[in-house]
Amino acid sequence: MSTTDPYTIEIIRSSLEAIGDEMFSALQRTSMSPIIYETLDFSVGVTDASGDLITQGNGTTVFLAMIDSLVRDILAKFGSKGEIHPGDVFMSNDPYEGGGTHLSDFGLVSPVFHQNELVAFVVNKAHWVDVGGKNPGSFSTNATEIFQEGIQVPSVKIIARGAVNEQILEIIAANIRLPKDSMGDFWAGVAANRVGERRIVELFAKYGRDAVLEAKEQLLSYGETMIQKDLAALPKGVFTAEDWIDDDGITSAPLRVQVKVTITDDEFVADFTGSAPQAQGPINNSRTGLVSAVRMIFKALTNPHIPANAGCFRMVKVVCPDSTVFTAKRPAPVSTYWETQMYAVDLIWKALAPHVPQRLTAGHQLSVCAVILAGTHADTKEFALLVCPLVGGWGAGINQDVESGQFSAADGETYNIPVEITEARYGVLVEQYAFHNEAGGAGEYRGGRGVVMDYRVRTDDFVLTGSFGRFKYPPWSMNGGQTGSPNMLQVLRTDGTTETYGKIAGLPLRKGDVVRMITAHGGGVGDPKKRPIERIREDLHNGFITPAQVQSDYGLSL
Amino acid sequence: MAIRAATDVGGTFTDLVFYSVDEKTGACGAIHSAKVDTTPPNFETGVMRCLAKGGAAPADLGFFAHGATVVINAITERKGARVALITTQGFRDVLEIARGNRPDLFNFNFRKPAPLVERQLRVELRERCNYKGEIEIPVELDALPAILDRFRAEGVESVAICFLHAYLNPANEARTAAEVRRLWPEVSTVASHELSREWREYERASTTVLSAYVHPIAKRYIEALEQRLVEGGMRPPPYMMLSNGGIATVATAKANPVAMVESGPASGIFAAAHLGTLVGSTNLIVLDIGGTTAKCALIERGEVRITTEYFVERTRRTPGYPIQTPVSEIVEIGNGGGSIAWVDAGGKLHVGPQSAGALPGPVAYGRGGTEPTTTDANLLLGRIDPKSFAGGEIEPAWDALTRAFETLGKKLGVAAIEAARGVVRIANANMTNALRLVSTNKGYDPRDFALLAFGGGGPMHAVSLAEELKVPRVIVPVNSAVFSAWGMLLTDLRRDYLRTRLLPLALTSAAGIQGLFAEMQSEAVENFVRDGMAVTSERVQWEYLVDMRYQGQEHTVKVPLPLEPAADIGAAMERFHAAHEKRYTYRLPNAIQIVNFHLVARIAVPKPELPKKIPRGTGLAAAVMGTRRVDFDAHGVHDATVYDGVALDPGVSFEGPAIVQEPSVTLVVTPGQRVTVDDYGNYHVHLRQRPEAET
Repeated sequence: MSTTDPYTIEIIRSSLEAIGDEMFSALQRTSMSPIIYETLDFSVGVTDASGDLITQGNGTTVFLAMIDSLVRDILAKFGSKGEIHPGDVFMSNDPYEGGGTHLSDFGLVSPVFHQNELVAFVVNKAHWVDVGGKNPGSFSTNATEIFQEGIQVPSVKIIARGAVNEQILEIIAANIRLPKDSMGDFWAGVAANRVGERRIVELFAKYGRDAVLEAKEQLLSYGETMIQKDLAALPKGVFTAEDWIDDDGITSAPLRVQVKVTITDDEFVADFTGSAPQAQGPINNSRTGLVSAVRMIFKALTNPHIPANAGCFRMVKVVCPDSTVFTAKRPAPVSTYWETQMYAVDLIWKALAPHVPQRLTAGHQLSVCAVILAGTHADTKEFALLVCPLVGGWGAGINQDVESGQFSAADGETYNIPVEITEARYGVLVEQYAFHNEAGGAGEYRGGRGVVMDYRVRTDDFVLTGSFGRFKYPPWSMNGGQTGSPNMLQVLRTDGTTETYGKIAGLPLRKGDVVRMITAHGGGVGDPKKRPIERIREDLHNGFITPAQVQSDYGLSL
Repeated sequence: MAIRAATDVGGTFTDLVFYSVDEKTGACGAIHSAKVDTTPPNFETGVMRCLAKGGAAPADLGFFAHGATVVINAITERKGARVALITTQGFRDVLEIARGNRPDLFNFNFRKPAPLVERQLRVELRERCNYKGEIEIPVELDALPAILDRFRAEGVESVAICFLHAYLNPANEARTAAEVRRLWPEVSTVASHELSREWREYERASTTVLSAYVHPIAKRYIEALEQRLVEGGMRPPPYMMLSNGGIATVATAKANPVAMVESGPASGIFAAAHLGTLVGSTNLIVLDIGGTTAKCALIERGEVRITTEYFVERTRRTPGYPIQTPVSEIVEIGNGGGSIAWVDAGGKLHVGPQSAGALPGPVAYGRGGTEPTTTDANLLLGRIDPKSFAGGEIEPAWDALTRAFETLGKKLGVAAIEAARGVVRIANANMTNALRLVSTNKGYDPRDFALLAFGGGGPMHAVSLAEELKVPRVIVPVNSAVFSAWGMLLTDLRRDYLRTRLLPLALTSAAGIQGLFAEMQSEAVENFVRDGMAVTSERVQWEYLVDMRYQGQEHTVKVPLPLEPAADIGAAMERFHAAHEKRYTYRLPNAIQIVNFHLVARIAVPKPELPKKIPRGTGLAAAVMGTRRVDFDAHGVHDATVYDGVALDPGVSFEGPAIVQEPSVTLVVTPGQRVTVDDYGNYHVHLRQRPEAET
């Protein structure tokens, strides 16, 4: 039979896409770190021999440019010297070049060969719970250079023709706080790549080189065709937005950022020129992170559902000078890069939300609201390292209320850690996990509710790190709605005092102190006075708003 | 003569399967079946009609097992009761926050499933148990009377109770449930520990709420059915089919109705396991192709896998609702005979998940359908006999059929027949992917398995799928059309007990492991006794399983733990390492931790022997009905021999290209593949593995 009929090509295409899912599930189910298996802060993917993305499986949205750029990095460093062989595995956590995130994310790249020809790469990139550095959990809000943020592994060959370089692993293990877990995660990553490699080899064996390569080309042009049609449906023109990032964690000065989006029939150009320069603190984002951000919102705007590949992003162009807060250079600290990366997403979101209401709502909590609690487990006396993001409120839509208690757009197939597991595993006491009714988010359509969560620590040696962006600049509203409420982190001391933070690193806690995490309500849409009285009554009945808010926000007394 | 009967209420049809047993000799008679339309909302009416139609009088029933979709229907149609939820102080919003996940990653206008209890009906009580199972604050029940008054005023019909760590120590929850039942005996009351003893508070709360949601409806239905059967003269109590592939007394089913949620698919899979053991194939990949979906499962060494990670309405776009109840592990995809073929904006051909359903049905039905389905493609390619299409009751609407494929072909730039091939090929690819999810993706090599296919479309696609997956043999059961109902006659009384308890897998834990299983065993015996069965521990067949992981991991691997005569820790360790390596390609030198204890308690029920097919002795040639041009896609167009399945004697053997025709089954045999018929009349297709270039 012919191997190039359209259905065979189609079947190879869907097999290629299925590989991402399979690698994803393998990594999730064997990982040692809750940040991987619950938060799903990892990504897997397949590229062709030149580094063009064929398929990607994601737990979070932030990695859309990270897989292909990592492969290009490996190609540049090893491919040019003929040093890529069957059985090799490359490792990197470099944030500036191929990586695009922070040192916590370890990438593993394995080449795939068919009859001695390099035909593809399988890749995964996952957040290790600790990679060393000055603070447990490695990311901080006040590092001033990357050397404080953990061990740097700039693209090395960790497995050469099947032989593991134990010495490199030993160096890494000696520099991180939970080597046993992280070595488990390393092997989980290698295993995920093996799964992908095996499938690709099978495909080539079954259908032959030419058919698979043809299917790959068609897959990419399919992505391009589909997205082009969706791009055609977007409004054309120039759209702008500006916003303020709270601060860089070192000084209290806010940072101004801006975007100019130009949409034409065949291009989507995001120009961030004019945004604040590279900062002293670790909120810096690298250029690869910026490309990921633009791809992410572009995908949400055009077609959220088809699988992402290189073809989907051929019409996207990112413009930004070097050394801005979006395009930082070595050795700038970058460990909380996602706060700024998400501003790049949110600027485009804000510029286009009024024009694309079926796809976008008003501003949401935006920040991942990540906390790290490190200390001694009260019962097992072992070192406990709790790293988790929080859910918050999403913005109202034009003509609709929205979801409460959802993870940030930066996350995705991310799961909160069950209270029953948190208490057992980390030895803290969880005292509440509920919606709050701070002021904010009122409107004809109400913003989703944020949550409040309390952890009481039970030993004297816990330290707290947390990064809650949008602490000073709450989620934006539309059409006369009220802005949302801010994200914030509080410590309720046993002496009755309360401290409130947007960012904090390494804060010592004492037994009995309560860490209170409050996430934002999303922004409202439309004049609150136009909200139907029965909806206001319902909200009051359900306790989503208080009697005082009925009066102050909606001008009624019920 | 006593009749042993099973009825299965499906979405469209209610099926009956029964046989008689000679009370003196114990000999089983032939198996009979009957089918009537399902009769919502009073499903019991259809059941009684079906018994009448089949000639099985309730007064003659010595055993009656029943499966119904009433639970899943109540959930998917949102026709459950008005539920209120009582939680630990500070945690009433857990139900609405859920897990916060967004499977539809890039959809920034995402909707999660609405909670089944609105916020004002979620109330909190002061109480606390810690993660070690110690009660720190005894529940304060003073507030309860006022809470219940408000629930009454709000029209609440069902009360769910879920407290933190009640999976470890249910004392506070049990006290609260008892007090609600005392103060308000009429209301349905469900406490989480009565359903699940596993951790994860959201999943447990969701299970409890869903159980409360269907509780009044399931109770009404089961009682109405019981009453009709008793009025008909039935003496023994009926049994209800559960999702774990076992049957249970009505008392058990009424107390935990959500355990019936997937009873239909479960019985088909258990029937497959039983048949496989009978014909000597204990490793099976099971495929059930119906009208709108295909279901796949894997059976290893005769064992069906049971999981408690089950969700209602979960898709790639939405998280659905979790139910922590033992369910047989199934992958279901939207690809059945009625699945519609369509072309997207990028020129890509898809099949399903939209289905033409019963109305308008496939284009060939001539009921106004214009979008071609998989069934239409099979008809156009000659795989389905036009004369016996839809039971011979319908003359295929050829003009409409040709037009539909011409239209589809135009969008793809190919001829109509080429488009039909494409539809079958894409449908097969979708099913192959689903079959891979249960086999290769979990570390199993399909070459070690047989593919057992049933349901209307199973035998039509099975041989092509087996070729694709390199499965060496296909089995098509003789009673393929009523396989699920038949499965209910083969099930045992079965209860699964799961408990989360973290313990290292080490010699020092042996006593603890033994102790916990002993505790669970006495609970199981107590429950059997409470259900009216005079049993002792010796009469029960026990199976001991543990969910384990490397210390630090989250997800677990289930392995059997030898317990008799003593806990064999060494054997369990090796089994875990091996299972982990099989599933995930590596093992670690790390410590192993037990997370869940899983006890299976089973009381055997007498089962019918599958009757052997009586040979006619007329020879193979007499079974040949003729030949037909059949398009075997990649294998070319051939004149296939058409056999009358009913006339095929045990022991015969023939090769494809062939079609085996039975009243409700069409088996498609590709060229060169050999078919044999076993003593019972089941078909076995023995696959010759072709060289790669040929396929």
